[in-house]
Amino acid sequence: MEDVLVLKDYKTVPDIVHEYGPTLKFGHIPLVIDNGSYQCRVGWSIYDEPHLIFKNLIARPRKDRCKKDAEPPVTPPIQIGNDIINIEAVRFQLKTQFDKNVVTHFEVQEQVLDYIFSHLGIDSEGNVPHPIVLTEAFVTPNYCRQLMSELLFEGYGIPAVSYGVDSLFSMYKNDIGDSALIVNCGYHTIHIIPVIRGKVIAHHARRINLGGSEMICYLHKLLQLKYPVHVNAITMSRIEEILHEHCSIALDYQEEIRKWANPDYYEANVKRIQLPFVQSTSSSGLTAEQQKERKREMARRLLEINARKREERLAEDEEQMNQLLALQEIMEDGDTDEFNEAIKGFDIKNYEDLQRQITNVNSRIEKNKQRIAAAAAAASAGELPEPKPSGRLQPPADPEAFQAWLNDTRAKYREVVQRREARRARRAAMLRRRTAAAAERMRVISRLTAAGDDFGTRDSDWDVYKSISREADSDSEADGERLLELEEALREHEPQQTSSQHHQLHLAIEPLRAAELMFQPSMLGNLEAGLAETMEYVFKHFSAEDQLLLANNVFLTGGCSRFPGLKERLERELLEMRPFQSTHKVVMAKDASLDAWYGARDFAGSNEFEKYCITKEEYYEMGAEYLKEHHASNIYYKSPAPIVDNTLAPAGDANVVKEEIVVDC
Amino acid sequence: MYTTTTTETEKSYPFKVENKFIVKSGCKKRMWRSLKQILTAERALPWPDDAVLYYSINAPPTFKPTKKYSDISGLPAPYVDRHSKLFYCNVDEFATIRSLPMDITAGYLQLRGANTIVG
Repeated sequence: MEDVLVLKDYKTVPDIVHEYGPTLKFGHIPLVIDNGSYQCRVGWSIYDEPHLIFKNLIARPRKDRCKKDAEPPVTPPIQIGNDIINIEAVRFQLKTQFDKNVVTHFEVQEQVLDYIFSHLGIDSEGNVPHPIVLTEAFVTPNYCRQLMSELLFEGYGIPAVSYGVDSLFSMYKNDIGDSALIVNCGYHTIHIIPVIRGKVIAHHARRINLGGSEMICYLHKLLQLKYPVHVNAITMSRIEEILHEHCSIALDYQEEIRKWANPDYYEANVKRIQLPFVQSTSSSGLTAEQQKERKREMARRLLEINARKREERLAEDEEQMNQLLALQEIMEDGDTDEFNEAIKGFDIKNYEDLQRQITNVNSRIEKNKQRIAAAAAAASAGELPEPKPSGRLQPPADPEAFQAWLNDTRAKYREVVQRREARRARRAAMLRRRTAAAAERMRVISRLTAAGDDFGTRDSDWDVYKSISREADSDSEADGERLLELEEALREHEPQQTSSQHHQLHLAIEPLRAAELMFQPSMLGNLEAGLAETMEYVFKHFSAEDQLLLANNVFLTGGCSRFPGLKERLERELLEMRPFQSTHKVVMAKDASLDAWYGARDFAGSNEFEKYCITKEEYYEMGAEYLKEHHASNIYYKSPAPIVDNTLAPAGDANVVKEEIVVDC
Repeated sequence: MYTTTTTETEKSYPFKVENKFIVKSGCKKRMWRSLKQILTAERALPWPDDAVLYYSINAPPTFKPTKKYSDISGLPAPYVDRHSKLFYCNVDEFATIRSLPMDITAGYLQLRGANTIVG
């Protein structure tokens, strides 16, 4: 048996509250937050590693709605990030502040920031006295940055903030020169960002709206459709684990999947994943001998119960007999009045009735006695009433013969099924015109009309009616019975698969398929170009020298770039799209998930950091959406004033000047 | 009275100036614009020509013919079942997809984004 992969079902560990020492408290130490749509990483700029790494999710349990004004509703606690131990239990209450890769839901963001600051142990009164480096999506809309700044400055009273793009931080962290084509594979998006001589060429950057979350959903749905029985056991978190640990990118997808058509290759390479299951104790845990023993025990107990019941009935009857005999005695004594008085208690009308009852009871007692004697004799002989054989199909006891018998039965079963299918297909075809079967039927009918007087002398002549009948005939009925019989025999004697095998997922092309979405979004019905095609598109916008600069430094970062085989695949794609004999190189980030945080930390620790911070004064002066540009930031375009056009009245305005409504109570 | 009790039970942190966006329980929730709404609003503004906005860096549509893969196995699929509209690659798969219940075939079509009537 090949090795079966076991799911680890990782559990999160709730974060501790970190120590907030005097160095931090009074040192004006910058706080670095890589606010990614998958994970959030938080740490101080003076430390090597982030203190907190958690999924950017909160679980808000629903309130009880039953009692409105009886008592104040007990608000269940909101779980955030690593507080959520079992994510599947709260799957339907999960919320994130992100819509795609952009923060849009700032109430959730505020809760997440509360979580961050409180778990860092910050206890200063009325403000968070640390400048903050925060990552944001490439070309974040000004509206979102404005709300984020409002939250940070007005909600937490921070002294300064600097915004940067995660993939640019990651690029500078890896120190790969000042020209590169960044390929950032994230949780919701893939960005392709050209950087030439330190300058981000934003207007030629492109974003594919697909990422790790889409791959997880795809694989999740795919496996649920393949194993409808295990719908509930195939959870998102398990799929995430499969995606992280067993998925890879094919070097040549077409060639790779063609291999899987070969059954031998399939057998040799299929991945078996064991789902957890509960062993049903009653059936499979016992051997045949034990089961037989148990059955015998049950039979014995049943006999005992029966015997006891018989004895009870016998005693009852004898009791009744005694009473009736007493009554009879009274009557025989000639005491009619007393007799009439006495029979009122019983259901007896007169003397004849009494006589009849006495004979009834007597015969009952006799019968019971006989039965008890018979049962006792059977028990003493040690014979149990054998269950009669269940069907005509009893397998031979010898294992070899049994195997042969089993195969034979299976073959017979298949044969009958095929015959039935064929008949069904023929009947279906006969109902339609212009089919071979219908033509054959017409031919038989016309021959029948022309048949001579000797038709019907032989029994087989009548079979033609079966062949032209459109209804189920006696043959199919007989086959149906035979089928039932065979089915039952097989069900009873077919060796059972162990139940662990029933709970296995077989992964063949699926892991490749999910990862391939990056290159072929069309598999999801998404009409966007894939990664390779978009890269080619981006290259086209540059001069030949710049193209070469970019192609020689393709930089892979982001969590989804950790798929094994992605680098090789990109090299192959580059070889295909680049001119003959030109060079290209793909560089992987050292730590695809954390390099953005490391880069941002280095930035926060650099001498120029102060210069790139938006201070509180600047926030008030320049507007909330203001951004100070630096080498790893977005480019700031001040939002223009909306066009005031009275001719284009309400319809166009509907979603532009929509005021948010906050109703205080 | 009712509101005061709930505000007391809600946790407040020393470092906070105020609850900026978190609303007290029982109050009307603020509606947050979705990314789509934000982008539509952004598009409506008269931006300078060189501005790069979120919607302007969307990937181009694909110009390569999309490949067909069997819905159930993922193998290259040259055939389409006219009845269920599923792709399949050989006789065995055809027999399988013919025996699939409606909800499963619908699920496969939805996964491929082919469940719309016009598509």
